[in-house]
Amino acid sequence: MFSSFKPGERGKIVDLSHVSHLVQRRLLDLGITEGSEVCVKCVMPFGGPIMIESCGQCIGIRRKEAVQIEVVKV
Amino acid sequence: MEIALIGNPNTGKTSLFNNLTGSYEYVGNWSGVTVEKKVGIFKKIQGHLIDLPGVYTLNPLSRDEGVVTNFFLHESVNQLLNILDASQLERNLHLTLQLLEFERPVLIGLNMVDVANKRGIQIDAVKLSKSLGVPVVPVIARSGKGCDRLVDAISTKSPEPVNKKLVYYGKEVEAAISALSKEIDGKTEHSHRFLAIQYFEGNEYVKNYFYEIADSEKLNLILVNLESELKKQYASKTLPSFIYLKRKETIVKIMAETAVKSSSVIPLSEKIDRIVTNKFFGIPIFLILMYLMFMLTFDWIGTPLSDALDAILTGPITNLLENVLTAIHASDFIHALIIQGLVAGVGGVLVFVPQIFILFLFISLLEDSGYMARVALVMDRIMESVGLNGKAFIPMIIGFGCNVPGIMAARTIETPRERLLTILLTPLMSCSARLPVYALFVGAFFAGQRALIVLCLYVLGIIVALILAKVFSSTILKSETSLFVIELPPYRLPQFQSLWRSTWDKGKGFIRKAGTFIFAGSVFIWLLSYAGPGGINVDMDRSFLALIGGVIAPVLVPIGFGTWQAAASLITGFLAKESIIATMNIIYFVPNDSSLQGLLANYYSPLAAFSFMVFILLYIPCLATTATIYKETGSKKWTVFSVVYALVIAYVLSLIIYQGGKLFGLV
Ligand SMILES: Nc1nc2c(ncn2[C@@H]2O[C@H](COP(=O)(O)OP(=O)(O)OP(=O)(O)O)[C@@H](O)[C@H]2O)c(=O)[nH]1
Ligand SMILES: [Mg+2]
Repeated sequence: MFSSFKPGERGKIVDLSHVSHLVQRRLLDLGITEGSEVCVKCVMPFGGPIMIESCGQCIGIRRKEAVQIEVVKV
Repeated sequence: MEIALIGNPNTGKTSLFNNLTGSYEYVGNWSGVTVEKKVGIFKKIQGHLIDLPGVYTLNPLSRDEGVVTNFFLHESVNQLLNILDASQLERNLHLTLQLLEFERPVLIGLNMVDVANKRGIQIDAVKLSKSLGVPVVPVIARSGKGCDRLVDAISTKSPEPVNKKLVYYGKEVEAAISALSKEIDGKTEHSHRFLAIQYFEGNEYVKNYFYEIADSEKLNLILVNLESELKKQYASKTLPSFIYLKRKETIVKIMAETAVKSSSVIPLSEKIDRIVTNKFFGIPIFLILMYLMFMLTFDWIGTPLSDALDAILTGPITNLLENVLTAIHASDFIHALIIQGLVAGVGGVLVFVPQIFILFLFISLLEDSGYMARVALVMDRIMESVGLNGKAFIPMIIGFGCNVPGIMAARTIETPRERLLTILLTPLMSCSARLPVYALFVGAFFAGQRALIVLCLYVLGIIVALILAKVFSSTILKSETSLFVIELPPYRLPQFQSLWRSTWDKGKGFIRKAGTFIFAGSVFIWLLSYAGPGGINVDMDRSFLALIGGVIAPVLVPIGFGTWQAAASLITGFLAKESIIATMNIIYFVPNDSSLQGLLANYYSPLAAFSFMVFILLYIPCLATTATIYKETGSKKWTVFSVVYALVIAYVLSLIIYQGGKLFGLV
């Protein structure tokens, strides 16, 4: 789960299907799918968005969407 | 010859456009800078180049992306120039594959090779060209390297559209494509394969297009059959993701043949990000940067320069003009028109050019460095709590320069409700045309804390916008959906030349306006102040201008500036905010020595001055902004609403400030 990730930790996405449809589309656009390796870069306070990196590309997504992404640590 | 630039957001399309056409369009380091179609003429060859917003796929989510799909379906183009970001090739190729399915001649510009090399990525353009079946030219749009070769490739007769099917979507999908092709055969000039695949991916624009040309019931049947078949055979989740994965397979194969990746160093970007998007310092850093900007504009550099300019204008230049006018025996009327109307009005606005340019320089710096998207990230939590998302902060920052492009920038916000909300609230951002008013008043009343007072005003604008966002989103604009996924581009060290160009591009609008709109307005206002019911050359208090202002003035008494002078300048301010200053300079015309700043103390108390500044900050979107709101919302109702709510909120706040301040014994 993303919620247990600390900045700097890497993981691999295993399931995206619980994330809302629109967010899924955008992540797909940015090349993030099941199987992508991601790294948490920083976490904003007060339940704010998190910044993740995948293939050298940084993106920001909201925490509540991030926790619905299933990831395993690598 | 029409050539369209197309590619993912932030890959350098507009940079290349500027380079090839010699024009200057808006460039910035975040996704979604260009939001509408722009046409330019090639410098070296015959033909038009068309710049489009960046898109990830041809299946749009937001309004600016829709511009591109619409362009594809409804306009004709000879050739597509696909710009790829070499450092993000894999992601970029998804769009390329869709473009190739469109079966028009495609030429690929492989941009940002410098960035890719720095990251240890080497791409073999020749091999890439071979696997895609189209010419590939490596370029660096920022410096112009490779642009000549690109122009050569464009002008040599374009090869026939490739027909090689790069992606094989599997037996079932291919069969459905053929079935669909039969249905639309002879009804469209576009590639059937392209349309079919887009339709299967759920592209709304293509669906609507089919409504116009074909029997949509039959098409829908094909789609439904295909979906159920795939579910049976492959347990695949959805048709769009099935298609996506097929493309991805092809891309992985292409990448393996063409790209070599060696280990790379940690980019500087990440180090900067550790600071500016720091958990606790993110927002304070943003505020400190804004404060610095105002210190530069109002204290350190801007004001001294403006004062110097003012001294030249009121001294030598006015003297020179006076001498010339006397020498040519100009009539008193002409004399007064030029000195008291034009020099006071237009000159009064022009003296603020240095301050405006410093502000614009700073905004350009924000835009070009990559910090913009970070601000959106940092602000998202606050924006979310008021029913918006962090992306809405980008139009607002652009609005600090001018509200019109700010409102246009709202096109990149995906959900219609959030977009509308952003459009309605962006006019509360203090644009550069309001800056002269602040400069004048803080100079006259708050000389000690210039930057701080102005920062307060800007922050007040933001806070009011946030509160109203909360109010609107929990009353008239209710909805649950919100989407926030933002690309954070790598930082780029802004180059002096591009920084200067974008500053100049924004600033020249201000100068041009002073020379045209404010010029004409000054003449008109001066005439109104010169003539009255009693004839011409009347005492100004009995002029038409005083008469008009006098009608409104009583309403303004409770908020501290119930003079006809203030009322008259507020009216002209609706046309353009700069005219507030022009009008004041004409009304309070001071022949020599004593300055407008000194004179103002006779008309305003410091409290009234603050109330006045707050009123100016909020009271009404200017004419150009109102027109843009109408264009972007397409609704008279919302346009009227944006004007009315601003007036109400400005009045209420000024009332609270003035009356409250008096209660506490401030004057
Ligand atoms: N290092 C490097 N930077 C580049 C290159 N080309 C463009 N840039 C920078 O990339 C950023 C984006 O450029 P734009 O031209 O605005 O990109 P765009 O594709 O028009 O972006 P959208 O309009 O948002 O789709 C700017 O900061 C450019 O200075 C390049 O070849 N190398
Ligand atoms: Mg652009």
